[in-house]
Amino acid sequence: MKKIIANKEYTTLLRDKRFKLMGGLIAFLLLVALLGGFASYRSLKKERDLAQKEARETWLNQGEKNPHSAAHYGSFALRPKSEMSFFDFGVDSFTGTNVYLEAHRQNDPKFSAAQDSSSLIRFGEMTVAFVLQMLVPLLIIFLCFNSISQEKEDNTLKLMLSQGISMSLIAWGKIQGFSKALAWIIVPALLLTFILILIGTEGSLSADLLLRFALTLLAYAVYFFVFISLSVVISARAGSSRNALLSLLGIWVLACVILPKATTNIGASIFKAPSNFEFREAIHKDEENGIDGHNPSDKRFEALKKQVLAQYKVDSVEQLPVNFDAIAMQEGEKYSTMVYNKHFDRMENIYQNQNSVAAYSAILNPFMAVRNLSMGLAGSDYKTALAFQKYAEKYRYEMVETLNTHMRDFSKTGDWEKKADAGIYAKIPDFDFKNPSITSVLSQNWVALLALLIWVFMCIKMVSNLKNISLS
Amino acid sequence: MLQAKNLTKTYGEQTALNSLNLTINEGEIFALLGQNGAGKTTTINCFLGFIQPSGGSASINDVSVAENALETKKYLAYIPETVMLYPNLTGIENLEFFSSLAGFSYGKDELSSFLSKAGLQNTAHNQRVGGYSKGMRQKVGIAIAIAKKAKALLLDEPTSGLDPKASNEFSEILRELAQNGTAVLMATHDIFRAKEVANRIGIMKEGNLVSVIDAKEISANELEKLYLQTV
Repeated sequence: MKKIIANKEYTTLLRDKRFKLMGGLIAFLLLVALLGGFASYRSLKKERDLAQKEARETWLNQGEKNPHSAAHYGSFALRPKSEMSFFDFGVDSFTGTNVYLEAHRQNDPKFSAAQDSSSLIRFGEMTVAFVLQMLVPLLIIFLCFNSISQEKEDNTLKLMLSQGISMSLIAWGKIQGFSKALAWIIVPALLLTFILILIGTEGSLSADLLLRFALTLLAYAVYFFVFISLSVVISARAGSSRNALLSLLGIWVLACVILPKATTNIGASIFKAPSNFEFREAIHKDEENGIDGHNPSDKRFEALKKQVLAQYKVDSVEQLPVNFDAIAMQEGEKYSTMVYNKHFDRMENIYQNQNSVAAYSAILNPFMAVRNLSMGLAGSDYKTALAFQKYAEKYRYEMVETLNTHMRDFSKTGDWEKKADAGIYAKIPDFDFKNPSITSVLSQNWVALLALLIWVFMCIKMVSNLKNISLS
Repeated sequence: MLQAKNLTKTYGEQTALNSLNLTINEGEIFALLGQNGAGKTTTINCFLGFIQPSGGSASINDVSVAENALETKKYLAYIPETVMLYPNLTGIENLEFFSSLAGFSYGKDELSSFLSKAGLQNTAHNQRVGGYSKGMRQKVGIAIAIAKKAKALLLDEPTSGLDPKASNEFSEILRELAQNGTAVLMATHDIFRAKEVANRIGIMKEGNLVSVIDAKEISANELEKLYLQTV
């Protein structure tokens, strides 16, 4: 019985001009967004891979020089493009792509795509995720708002019920029919996405990536199911088709436009973040005066000197078998990194809290759930950008540490002229950042996963509860 | 067989249907006359199970509608006042859809013969219903009822808006169905049609079945007079 209704719904929908027109438009937008996104992904990936290679070559071929000079000369870390980021740009356009790695300074990632664009980028980009998250629900609403209300108005609902089938069966049949028709628009785009992923990875598709893609599909399938069943239920409960359309559009505006903005703003106003200037100033102050405010840098320097002299059992730095400047610089590096990390963790905490307001709103709002999950799985969310920044800082520290240690052991204090062998640069490994694993993506987005699960159950319940709707 | 025992429906203070007692036997056509709001549609909706009665019971073939709503639907067919159907489907496809919902799987030829029997011209069978006139849609509705081979037929002002010829054809089909043993309950405003096709005629006023007349024993003019006196 369900299949009969589904088939009828599917047939009538495919013959419907409204469906052909709007469905065709959405399919076209998906195609444009996919190809456009992939083209920009390819060129960015090429650029960055090339830049990273060049940075590495420059680093390796900088010639013989004092190791600390090499640490000042520095290098660059570029954030690799995630394989699925062409599907969902996430916050990629606004996060930095490029960190300058040098001694003594923890630089922020710079050069976001937004910096290179006009300010119009703030109004959003045409990505597949945007079409799927914002426009497809709108298409669903326009197709389903009168799915039952129209049948009520035309008396065909009574006719159907008089043939001896239940209301919830009709609703399930309709949901099935709409899903089937919608698949004609969505599935080709998703197939193309998969092909583009294959092209992007040159065929070497990892299990991790495959799982990410599968979970993304699942998340969107649930999202569309929620909108379809919600539309059918509201169509059944509304007094008229007009009311059903108005209620559904209201829900769309609330879920896809107002709530995401509002929760983000509420998060930012509850958890105030200091400005970049304040952040840098606080770090500087702690470096000068000590993290507890009672241990200024000159005092720390004296204490270190005493300790090192005692360790080597000598009276002055000139008698040391090692380079004290290098030891002092490394200690300074260690201290500033500790201070930086303390402040960075504090900032991260604040941003985390700001984002959590929006993240928890996923329980009420399936749009937020699918948005967070989608960009998390695509590796284009804030957490991935943060992981890159942390990885780059760790890499920078280890790079400087290696060079300082080398300088400590091969030269004496005050000898800034002695040059290290060029082979030392190869001791620093390639910069090789990997996106957080899929398990960490899922554990970070547990609210979204839970929310989608709750919504599925709620929708099933709502559809099954359609027994007692008023027919007169 | 359609049977109402003390069938009552109240909405708050208002009584839509007051203790209706009515039995329509196999092969009998019963016409319900009355003004809008007299309780005709309420009666039909109670038999369809779309309205839960406040008191009493409606039953079809001795099965209570309130208790076995889905089972009683097997025995009944229903034609609403305006049959809108699905404009993007053809006449045959519409008929096929509703018949298969009731559990029948007819071939194209059988479906076509039901439509012809209901009086729909052959050329229209494979055209989309969007281009049909009201009378043509009504005929598809009749075909849906015929195809169900129901024991009881419920009609809510089926001839309103039909031209006299279509209306006359409709009466013919009703008589034929009754001859084959179907119990027919028809709510109508058309006094002359009621007198012509029905075996018995009931007049309703404010939820009460005021009088029941044998159609053979009254002329159309007398029926009109009685109707005007009653309401």
